[in-house]
Amino acid sequence: MDIDILKSYIPLYKDALFLTMKIGWQGILLSLILGLVGAAVLHFKVPVLKVITGIYIEIFRNTPLLVQLFFIYFALPKVGVKITAETCGVLGLGMLGGAYMIETIRSGLESIPVIQTESALSLGMTKEQTFIHVILPQAISMSVPGLLANVIFLLKETSVFSTISLMDLMFTAKDLIGMYAKTIECLFLLVLFYLIMLLPVSILGAFVERRMRYGQFGD
Amino acid sequence: MRNKLLKRLTSGLLITALTAATFTACGSSDNSAATLDAGTTDSSKETGSAAGFRTLDEIKESGTINIGVFSDKSPFGYVDENGEYAGYDVYFAERIGKDLGVEINYVSTEAANRIEYLQTGKVDIILANFTVTEERAQEVDFALPYMNVALGVVSPSDAVVESLDDIGADDQVIVISGTTAETYLTKNYPDIKLQKYDAYAEAKTAFENGNGVAWANDNTEVIAFSIENEGYTVGIPSLGDNDTIAPAVTKGNETLLTWLNDEITSLGDEQFFHADYEATLLDTYGADYEDTLVVEGGKVQ
Amino acid sequence: MANLGIDVLFKGTNFLRLLQGLWVSVEISLVSVAISIILGLLVGVLMTLNKLWLKAILKIYLEIVRIMPQMVLLFIVYFGTTRVFGWDITAEAAAIFVFSFWGVAEMGDLVRGSIKSIPKIQFESAYALGMDKKQTYFYIILPQTIRRLIPLSINLITRMIKTTSLVMMIGIVEVLKVAQQIIEANRKASPNAAFGVFAVVFLLYFIVCWPISRLAVYLEKRWA
Repeated sequence: MDIDILKSYIPLYKDALFLTMKIGWQGILLSLILGLVGAAVLHFKVPVLKVITGIYIEIFRNTPLLVQLFFIYFALPKVGVKITAETCGVLGLGMLGGAYMIETIRSGLESIPVIQTESALSLGMTKEQTFIHVILPQAISMSVPGLLANVIFLLKETSVFSTISLMDLMFTAKDLIGMYAKTIECLFLLVLFYLIMLLPVSILGAFVERRMRYGQFGD
Repeated sequence: MRNKLLKRLTSGLLITALTAATFTACGSSDNSAATLDAGTTDSSKETGSAAGFRTLDEIKESGTINIGVFSDKSPFGYVDENGEYAGYDVYFAERIGKDLGVEINYVSTEAANRIEYLQTGKVDIILANFTVTEERAQEVDFALPYMNVALGVVSPSDAVVESLDDIGADDQVIVISGTTAETYLTKNYPDIKLQKYDAYAEAKTAFENGNGVAWANDNTEVIAFSIENEGYTVGIPSLGDNDTIAPAVTKGNETLLTWLNDEITSLGDEQFFHADYEATLLDTYGADYEDTLVVEGGKVQ
Repeated sequence: MANLGIDVLFKGTNFLRLLQGLWVSVEISLVSVAISIILGLLVGVLMTLNKLWLKAILKIYLEIVRIMPQMVLLFIVYFGTTRVFGWDITAEAAAIFVFSFWGVAEMGDLVRGSIKSIPKIQFESAYALGMDKKQTYFYIILPQTIRRLIPLSINLITRMIKTTSLVMMIGIVEVLKVAQQIIEANRKASPNAAFGVFAVVFLLYFIVCWPISRLAVYLEKRWA
C-alpha cells in the first residue's frame, strides 16, 4: 500500500463521508417522523390512513432501495416529476426507513400494558395526552435498541446512492478505482471510512441497549 | 454495560487492525510479485496463469475467450431485444472468436471496471470502446487501434453549450465514471461540477431527464446520441486530443497482444472495419463519418 | 400506455430476459440462504460455547457483517481477493460468498438467541438422562430452535433477494441490468421506456418478495 496515495485520496473520502452523513441523517430524520406518524396511525387504528400505511409498509419493505431509487430518479421524470439526486436520496432512504421504523415503534407501543392507558384515562387525561405523555415516552425507550439497529441498517444502505450520481463513499471508491486503478488503497479507505461512520453508532447501540432495556430476559 | 461496550470497542479496533494488516500484507506481496515479474520476464510471461492472465495457448486450450464489452452503449456494445450482444465492438469480438476458433463469453463491463477486469484476469480482452491514454497504458497493454475518437459535448438544442467556459458555476455536466471525459474535465476544468454515473444507460436517462446542462463523453457517442434523439445538439464536437480506441489485454500478456496486432493488421487487407462500420454504425452516423471514425489495419491516417 | 414505454417489454424476448434476470437474483439468494442455514446452525452453536478465543473471533465476525455494507463486501471479495491472493472467482461465486458470509452471521446470531432462550433445565435433564453434549444438542435443543428459526430464515430470503439488486455492480447481469439494456436498446423507439421498465422491475421484486414475507409473518404467528 502506498502511503502517499492514501494521503492524497483522504480529502476526497472526507467529502464523501460528509455527503453520506448529510443525506443519511436527513433520511433517517424523515424515517423517524414517518415512523412516529405511521405507528400512531396504526396504534389508533385511524380508518383509511391505516390501510394506506399498511400498503406503504408492504411496498417499501418488499422492494430493494436500489430499485426504489431508480424508479424515483430515472422513471418519475418521464411522467413529469423531477427531483434532484440529493432529494431523491433523502426521500428514498426516508421512505424505506419509515417502513421499518413504523414496525419498530409499533412493537414498542404494543409492549406497554393496556392498564397504563386505562389508568391514565381514569385520571382524567385525554386520549391524546395519554398517548403523548404516558405511552409514547415508554414506547420509544423500549424501541431504542431497535431504532438504532435501523439507523445502522439505513446508514449502510446509503452505499447504493452511488448509482444516482451522489458522490458518497462507495462512489468515490469506485470512481477512483476507475480512474487510477489503485484498488487496494481505495478499498482500504472505503472500509476505514465506513468504520469511522458506523462504529460509533454500533457502540452507542451496545451502550443504549444495556441502559434502556428493562424487563429483558435471556442473555 | 461497560463490559459489552469495551468488547465492542476492542472488536472494532481489532477489525481495523486486521483489515489494515491484510491490506498492508497484500500491498507488499503485490510489490514483491511485481519485482519478481520484472526480474524473470521471459519465463513468467510464458506461463501467464501465475501472473493473473491467460496466454494465447491457454485460451485456445480452454475453448472459450472472455471478452469484456459494454452491454448498454449503443451502437458500440449493447444487447438487442433478443438478448444478443451487438454493435461495432461486438462485431470485431465475433471475428476474434472465429479466427481463434473459440467460443466467446461476453462479460458486461462498466467504464470504471475495465482496467480492474483485466488486471484481475477476469477477462482476456477488453473491447469496450477503450480509449488509449498514457495513464491507462501504464496499467494495461493496448493493441493496435481500430477507431478514432475525441471528446465531445452534447446539450439540449434550446440551450446549446458551445464552449466549456459557458458552463455556469451551478450547472452540472454529466459524465460517466472511468471515462476519458471524466479524467479530462477533472484535470483541465476542475471548477466544472460533474455529475457521475456508472452506466451509460443511467447517464443517458439522467441527461434526457434534464439533470445536467450537458453530457461530455467520446464524441462518437454524443454524436450518435444527437442523431438518434431529437432536440439535442453537439455544441462541442471535438475537445482535447485526438485519441484512438483499441483492444486491451492484461499487462504482460505478450502472446495474446501479438496475436491481436497481427489480426488487426491482416484484417486491414479485407477492409474489415469498414465492413464493421457499415454493418453496425451506418444506421446511426450515415456514410459521412466512415473515414473519420474507422481505423483500418491499425494505421491512423 | 404506449408512451409510458411498457410496450418495449413485449418486443422480442425482452420480458423473458427480465424474468431470467430476476431468476438470477432469486437463485443467488436461495443458494446463499441454504448455505447460511446450514453453517448458521453450526456457528450459532459455537457462539454458545464458553471458549474465550472462539467468542472473540465470532464477535469480530458479527461486527464486520453488522457494520460493512454488503456492496463494500462484494467489491472487496470480487476485486480485492484477486488482487491480493490471485484467486479468480466468478462474480456469481463472489456474490454467493458475500451473501452467505452475511447470512451465516445473521443466522448464527438468531440460533444463539434461540438456544439461549431454551431453559437450562432441558440441558440438565438431558444430561441426567445420560445423553452427552452432542446428543443433547442434536436431539433436544436443535429441533426446538429450528422451528423458531424457520420464519426468521424465510425473512432472510426476502432480504437477500432484495440485496441481490447490488450484484449488478460486480457485472452480474440480473434484472436491473437487463432493464438498463432494454432501455438502452430502445431509447430511440420509445424514449419513455425508463418509466415502464423500471416500474415493472419494481413490481417484479414486490411480486417475488411479498408472498415470501407474508409466509414468514404467518409462520411466526402460528409457531410463536
